[in-house]
Order: sequence, then structure tokens, then C-alpha cells
Amino acid sequence: MSTDPKPAARRADKILAEEFFLARSKILDLAATLDRLERGQGSVDELQQRLLLQQGMEILLDDQSDKARRVQLLMSRPYDPDWRKNYGLH
Amino acid sequence: MDYIDPHIHMVSRTTDDYETLARMGCIAMSEPAFWAGFDRGSVESFRDYFRQLTEFEPKRAAQFGIQHYTWLCINAKEAENVSLSREVIAMIPEFLSASNVLGIGEIGLNKNTKNESTIFLEHVDLAVRYGQQILIHTPHLEDKYQGTKMIVDMLVHDTRVDRSRVLVDHVEEHTIQEVLDQGFWAGMTLYPVTKCTPARAADMIERFGPERLMANSAGDWGPSKPTAIPDLIMELKRRGHSRQLIRKIVCENPCEFFSQSKNFKAPSALS
Repeated sequence: MSTDPKPAARRADKILAEEFFLARSKILDLAATLDRLERGQGSVDELQQRLLLQQGMEILLDDQSDKARRVQLLMSRPYDPDWRKNYGLH
Repeated sequence: MDYIDPHIHMVSRTTDDYETLARMGCIAMSEPAFWAGFDRGSVESFRDYFRQLTEFEPKRAAQFGIQHYTWLCINAKEAENVSLSREVIAMIPEFLSASNVLGIGEIGLNKNTKNESTIFLEHVDLAVRYGQQILIHTPHLEDKYQGTKMIVDMLVHDTRVDRSRVLVDHVEEHTIQEVLDQGFWAGMTLYPVTKCTPARAADMIERFGPERLMANSAGDWGPSKPTAIPDLIMELKRRGHSRQLIRKIVCENPCEFFSQSKNFKAPSALS
């Protein structure tokens, strides 16, 4: 068990002030990527990677917390607790 | 600030990088055995590689006052070749008495296959039989969650494994909790493109606290940055975190973990 205290949380308004331009830049990068996909030849709308991007953006916009972990899980292969049995490992 | 990089592949780095790291405050490092950028063809290739890790790299590091330690194994990518892996595992004990060897690593999974799992278990058995610490590689990107869960499953099923002597590296937001909850040490690998940024590593330190947590740069064949730990130090300072907290992450924790190996000598700056 942890014996070291977690660092105290910083003020949210200070974090926003410090990180607004970085976050703005990342949103613009994402927006430009989506524009690029739209200008590209053919459609990717049904491709799994495009759907994952869409679902990832929906996580960013929902009202739940723990967004980084949830995006990571969205982009992850599932874990099968019976994997050892399936592999014949004991 | 002085720091220790617990996971950096210096064989893929120039001597200039050693000098830069020394100037940035690196006083010690540990280099796990890994992939050469191509699959090696024979056990003799690994014997030469282990000589490089135990003889040449410590001398190169020492020119700049850096202590160099290492870990030995056949990495997960090449573990798909089971017969070669078994030859390498049988040869590793020849090098365990070298003065800079801390244990077995970086063992783990890459694509989470049966062969990789088989060789992982045989590496763990080797480590246990020889009383060695273990350094773990967890897979990247979409394979990380599944592979980390498989690795933890294998480790907790082996009651001989002392979890306080195991470092699970490349943890991210979706794997760190389980690794720490199970009593292992956790390493966050800082990378400019994939893996974890210094900002996200700082977030994990804020969420989970500094106990049994460290950071590394990997410094491998990919577009990695060997000075990533100073970047993390800067990020933590920018956020107003104490020198004591930062020092625990980048210096005291690696020192405490490595000190469980008889070959580790704490840098004089820390003693």
C-alpha cells in the first residue's frame, strides 16, 4: 500500500490558462486530419480505424471522467481470462 | 537534477548521447536486452550482444561518469522462435555473474502469442531459479491492455515470484492501476509519438502517487528521445511539484528497486 501522499491537485482555472493553446492546437490538428480524410479519394467512413476515431471523439465530448483511460480501452484488443486454457498453457 | 534512467537502450545511441545525458544529470542507467532491429540468427549473436551489454557499454558510460547496468534475455519479438529462445535462455547464466547485471529483462509479450507466453514463463522460471530480479516489457498500442493482463496473470500464478522484485514497464492509463494494485513496480516510458508523453506521465504521478513508480526514456530504434526524463522533470517543476516528489520518481525509486540486486551500487550522489 502507498505510504506517499499524492501531490495536491492544482486549480482548474490555472490548468486551463496554461494548457489552452496546447489543447487548441491539438483540436486543430484533429480537425485538419478529418478535413484531409474528406478531401482524399474514396471513403473511409466504414473502416474500423475511422469508426474508432469517431468513438474516441465521442468519449471526449461525453460527461464522464477518466477519459484518457477510456480512450485507451476503446483502442485496445479485449482480454480473455481463459487465454491460458485456449493456448494450452498451465 | 541528478536522475537515473531505468530503461534505455544505449546500444542504439551514439557516444555523444552519453555525453548529453551526463550533462543533463543522468548518473546511472539500466539497459534491458532487446531487439536488434532485425531477428538474430543464432545463439552466438546473443552471446556477442551480451558481451556488448556487460563489457563495452559500461566502459562507454563510465567515460562520462554514468553507471551502466543491464538485464539479459531474448526479447518478445524473437521469442516467437522457441528453439532459439531456449538456446539463449540456457546460455544466459554464463553472464549472470557479470558485475553490471541486475536481472532478467526485458521479457514480456509483443503480439501476445502462445510462443511468446511460453518463453515468458521460461524466463520467469530462470529468474526465480537464479534469484534474479525481473524487468518486463508490455506490448504497445492495441496489444498493451490484453498483453499486460496476460503478463500479470502469469506472474501472479507463479507463487515463487516476489512481486517487489518485478518492474513492469511501459504502463499507461489503462494498465498502471492493475500493475500497482498487484504489488509490482511500474515504469512509464516517455516517447514523442506513441507510448506516453511527459505530460501524461505527470498526470499518472498526480493520480496514483509516487510509490513504486518510475519513468524512463527507452531510447530505442524508434523516434525516441534519450533526454525524455529531464523533460518530465521540467513538466513536474512547471506544475509546481516539490523537488522531493520529483527526486523520488527519477532517483530514489529506481535506486530502491535496483538495490534489491547485489550488483547495484547506489551512485555516490545518492548515498
